[in-house]
Amino acid sequence: MINEVRNTVLALANKNNYGYISPGDFNLYCEQAQLDIFEDYFYQYNNWLNKENARMSGTGYANIVKGLEEVIDSFSTQVFLDQTVANLNNASLYELPLDYYLINKVLYYPTALFAGTTTAQQGYKLIDSTGGFVSNPVTSTFLQNPPIGSIVVNTSSAPISQAFVTAVDSDTTLSLSEDIMANGQNYVVYSGNNITDVERVNQQKINYLLSSNLTSPTTQFPAYILSGASSNQQPGPNSNIGNTITVYPITIRQKGAIQVQYVRYPVTPNWTFVTLQGGEPLFDQTAADYQDFELPISDQNGLIAKICQYIGIEIREADLYEFGKNEIVQDNQIQT
Amino acid sequence: MAYISQFTYYENNGVTPTDANQGSYQYVPLQDIVNNFMLMYQGNHELLNNLERYQVLFHAKRGIQELNYDAMKEIKILQLTLDHNFSFTLPSDYVNWVRISQYKDGVLYPLSENIQTNWSTAYLQDNNSNILFDQDGNALRPQDSQVDLSRAQRSIYLNPKSLFDGCEGYCVDGCWYFDYQVGSRFGLNTETANQNPTFKIDKQAGKIYFSTAGGHDSIVLEYVSDGMENGNDSLVSVNKMFEEFIYAYIRYAILNSRVGVQEYIVNRARKDKSSLLRNAKLRLSNIHPGRLLMNLRGQNKWIK
Repeated sequence: MINEVRNTVLALANKNNYGYISPGDFNLYCEQAQLDIFEDYFYQYNNWLNKENARMSGTGYANIVKGLEEVIDSFSTQVFLDQTVANLNNASLYELPLDYYLINKVLYYPTALFAGTTTAQQGYKLIDSTGGFVSNPVTSTFLQNPPIGSIVVNTSSAPISQAFVTAVDSDTTLSLSEDIMANGQNYVVYSGNNITDVERVNQQKINYLLSSNLTSPTTQFPAYILSGASSNQQPGPNSNIGNTITVYPITIRQKGAIQVQYVRYPVTPNWTFVTLQGGEPLFDQTAADYQDFELPISDQNGLIAKICQYIGIEIREADLYEFGKNEIVQDNQIQT
Repeated sequence: MAYISQFTYYENNGVTPTDANQGSYQYVPLQDIVNNFMLMYQGNHELLNNLERYQVLFHAKRGIQELNYDAMKEIKILQLTLDHNFSFTLPSDYVNWVRISQYKDGVLYPLSENIQTNWSTAYLQDNNSNILFDQDGNALRPQDSQVDLSRAQRSIYLNPKSLFDGCEGYCVDGCWYFDYQVGSRFGLNTETANQNPTFKIDKQAGKIYFSTAGGHDSIVLEYVSDGMENGNDSLVSVNKMFEEFIYAYIRYAILNSRVGVQEYIVNRARKDKSSLLRNAKLRLSNIHPGRLLMNLRGQNKWIK
């Protein structure tokens, strides 16, 4: 989509051959426009929910909320949170992912069925000679353990990787849905049942919550607060803002026990090219750093309009700026 | 929580204790109640939205506490031997007592409460009855008051050769003193005129004090708790008969404390809650023809 957007923008802007936009500038405007539209989805979502509550929205093809949810959900990611060496003294402190825009939910896996270190490597397998898995129960005393669907977390990898148990091959080997385990790596197998939501509590309330017998966080009803940036954070969109969470009760401090589902920022688009002899850049989709827009094609018009606005300012072209602005206003009127 | 297999129910998958799940089907765990409420009763299209889970948890627990006090009939029973002071320390989860009995020779003898106190605090006083204070201005207290000592020193005198055999008396420094002789008791207090000991509860001290008539026997306390299971949320549950009531209770409690909710909605929630509690109590009372039949069969019994 990014090349179509660029061609359209150039066609609109290239009046009397002075509206040429360099690839570098174009990429900057693309990032800005994408972020703008991405953020707008959340406000639109809220508006449409309010309308739905006021019975001003339809169902089926008229279900606007559903469409917005689908786009937002396409940015949804689920990862297990890590604790770094610096956090060992306060181990209920977990590091959030670098690219999160909105933390939607935090999950706690309370039941660790097995934990250990792999003793061999095979594709899509977890092999631990001391595993003690139960593959074929010979008596009625025990059931197969771990059950199919249990979650295997590789706590040695960075970021922490996960897979599901698809079969218990023997008392030392599990089959996994993903190839995540190498030899000598630590793992934990969590039960897929009783996964608990960790509730976000604001800093103002947390002490009241902790002091109350009835609401004090327990492993059944854990809570977390968003904390400040940790000093060992890698560079990223969130490196200077609150990017750690403190989980309560503080007995929850197992590595890999906390999973987060979040909406990430869209990846920065990058229109890549090869430079021809005449100096004219030619679109090159095969470049390693090529990145298309992550928004749906239905947003192409909005992207073009926004980029035209930016370019209109760059080349001091009021018509172009006005065109972009009017397009967005019209679009908003239709959507509301 | 997912339904469990029969193997899990009877054998707990071979994990000790193997009887952990037996009888569990009668109850809905607290976690299910909170989850179900968040899922079904709060949201953009529901009566309640923008709820924090801890609010629901708080009201769910309060509802369960209220049910435990009178409606649920979840009686806990504790048997202990009395200490040297003839006192029984209340259990850690005690809220109110239902019945207190003495266990003797394999039989439970229900005891009656003595409305006259048998315990007291006291201050130390000098010969002129002035209260004595310490350097911080607090009144000095003896370890036991005279009422306490009276209870503690009272015992049964056993001597078949004596006129006072089997009488209550006070043993002080090896000498026995009696309030009365056999056959000369006047002004009998009928409330406490019982062969078995009577008791009085000191709620603040967390003790039940017994008269000594029964000696150092084993006491069985039937009591109600608040269902909070000493803070272990995984054990907190409610009988399924009360499940709908708990949802209604939470809904009412939240609506009642929210700003901007119309009064008729609050009233509807309140009536809903009350009628569901009534229904659940009726259901749990287990009045059914079979039970009535057994009671009515006794109507022609000859009372000799």
